[in-house]
Amino acid sequence: MTTTLADRPVSASPGSDWAVETRGLTKRFGANIAVNDVELLVPRGCAFGYLGPNGAGKTTLIRVLLGLTHADAGTMSLLGYPVPQHRAQALARIGAIVDEPRFHGHLTGRQNLQILAAAREPAARDRIGVSLERVGIAHRADDKVSKYSMGMRQRLGVAACLLGDPQLLILDEPMNGLDPAGMLEMREMILSLVAEGRTVVLSSHLLDEVERTCDAVAIVDRGKVIRQGAISDLLSASAFTLEVDCSRPDRAKELLVGTPWGNGTQVGTDGLHVDLAAGTDREVVAEVNRLLVEGGISVYRLEEIHASLESWFLEVTTRLGESS
Amino acid sequence: MSTATITQPPVPEPEASDLVGGTSDRRGSWLPNGAMIATRFMELRKRRGLMIALILVNIGIPVVFLTIRLLAHAIAPHSYGPAGGYTVFSTLVAGVLFIFGFIVAATLGCTAGSVDLTEGMFRHLVVTGRSRLALYLARIPAGLAIIVPMVAAGFTVVCLVCSFAAPTHLDYDGVTVPPGLSHAAFDSWASDHAEEVVCNFNINFGPNDPNAPAIMNVLNNVPCGNNPGGPVKVGPGAPTQPQPTQAQIEHVARLMASQNYADYSGRFLSPSVSLMIRTGLWIELYAAIGFLVGLGLSSLMGQRTVPVILLIVLEIVLTPVLSHPDIPHVLNLQRGLIGVATSHLEPAGLPSVFGGMHRVGSSQVPESLTVAICVIVGWALVWTALGAWRMVTRDA
Repeated sequence: MTTTLADRPVSASPGSDWAVETRGLTKRFGANIAVNDVELLVPRGCAFGYLGPNGAGKTTLIRVLLGLTHADAGTMSLLGYPVPQHRAQALARIGAIVDEPRFHGHLTGRQNLQILAAAREPAARDRIGVSLERVGIAHRADDKVSKYSMGMRQRLGVAACLLGDPQLLILDEPMNGLDPAGMLEMREMILSLVAEGRTVVLSSHLLDEVERTCDAVAIVDRGKVIRQGAISDLLSASAFTLEVDCSRPDRAKELLVGTPWGNGTQVGTDGLHVDLAAGTDREVVAEVNRLLVEGGISVYRLEEIHASLESWFLEVTTRLGESS
Repeated sequence: MSTATITQPPVPEPEASDLVGGTSDRRGSWLPNGAMIATRFMELRKRRGLMIALILVNIGIPVVFLTIRLLAHAIAPHSYGPAGGYTVFSTLVAGVLFIFGFIVAATLGCTAGSVDLTEGMFRHLVVTGRSRLALYLARIPAGLAIIVPMVAAGFTVVCLVCSFAAPTHLDYDGVTVPPGLSHAAFDSWASDHAEEVVCNFNINFGPNDPNAPAIMNVLNNVPCGNNPGGPVKVGPGAPTQPQPTQAQIEHVARLMASQNYADYSGRFLSPSVSLMIRTGLWIELYAAIGFLVGLGLSSLMGQRTVPVILLIVLEIVLTPVLSHPDIPHVLNLQRGLIGVATSHLEPAGLPSVFGGMHRVGSSQVPESLTVAICVIVGWALVWTALGAWRMVTRDA
């Protein structure tokens, strides 16, 4: 009987609570520091987004982690295995796509997977069909890869990752080349992998997709990780706007002028907007409501409008750019 | 760096016995497994264009050549000799199969050594955690499993045609001679066919040779009829001599036969089984070395085109040029060439592959058999080591 990917219980490797752990990881190309003293902690069993502008060093970090190129300084471990010392053991439990997935064009998708499965454990050969089914290209598995679209190659790359029944998947821009339906399927597949207890690290510039898919993110810029954490925590710690639907917005603004939030108060077409700084206590919302009601204003709705990951990302990276 | 709190997902308890792909499949071993070799073989074999090109060069050339000869002989047997035979065999082996076998093998080696890089599969393979050395070494048996049968197929075609379409008589210097005679029998046969021998065989003698007067007398007075070419005669001219007796003519014929026996003894109607086996092994050795050199060089350079061109230039330009023994100051360089070294292992009975004849008046670069073997082993090991080293150290 063939063991399916979902059938096997995911077991942990010894030693660490983190799927990926780096300390002071550095990689230089001449004078250019592509990975700069990176301290990255990816918890097990979650979808983790690795975000950064073009040229920020995302792919280089992935290449260093996977042993495709060596690090100049620092330590790292994957699934609790220190690498490069225990690289083979670690990579046996990892599937990865780095950059654009490319294969032998003169071979079929299935034959390409046979080559990769041969380099893995014997059981990997039994997972070829399951993997192709799971990424939705089983019907084209016996076509030559040269006839595949970019999106199909992306799926084939994910199928290649699944051959090793991995505990950790590292996907570099997995949404590239996918149409909206394909992106939705990919997102659902990533979430299903996470639901099985696997860890998925994906680097992407599609912030909206990352926000919908990932539990936690790290922001990298110029080779350095500048923020990391759970998305909800990061966003809640950022500035937000209090949108107030009320009667007489102009009068409401006058009431708030003398308060600490008066400077950030504006009247818009849809009501009153009060900008509140990051870390503002939620009691402030109640205080605003109390002031307005006591001033004779009818309050119909109060809503906290938090920044999206995209606007937060732009805010963070812009601020960094201005400070340098 | 500011760090927010990351909510920890539940972490399963570590299992010490978890061996998923860890140690159970010997992933860190430098030895490739059978599946790696089989899939690598498949990857190369499925390159249809390359395979067709290699088959055309290695099998197509001798097939076309022999087919034309077979047809020509069938249409006009008096004008065109038999398609096969020893002479055709030795010419095809030394002139085509040996050189083109190397080129074909080197091309396949260059392909095997570079396509993973150029087609983007190298990263996928490295990420499996499999030893890079094992990934490299898997290509060797896979490639040889293609090149050895391919070279053998071309050689088998040549052997079959040369054996079954061989001439029925041995033509030696324009004279039909029974094949396989012993030295004494050859002398005896020459005595019985004295005038034919005298008119057609070559003989070398000097002015101080005690037989010189008799030889000259015979050569100058035996009527050679419709054989205007005649033998090469070296020596003092003495046109006015008495007519030679039959005994003198037979004596000179025996002398000529004796002098030509070494050359005669190397000629056969068809190649012997022993010669074919030794020749086949010799060609396969050279092709295998060509594959290893191509594999190592292309792995080192990370591409296919330039290594292929370099090896073709080495084989059909540099090696023939540097095979002449009279080039001053570069003797050791000449000895270090793989083609020159391998030609020293050439089976007796074949013409030298790179210029001159193998036995008579040899123009080979002087090199002991031991040195030649060391050079061959060195080429195989050094290029394999360089290719493997680059494979292991290369950024993927």
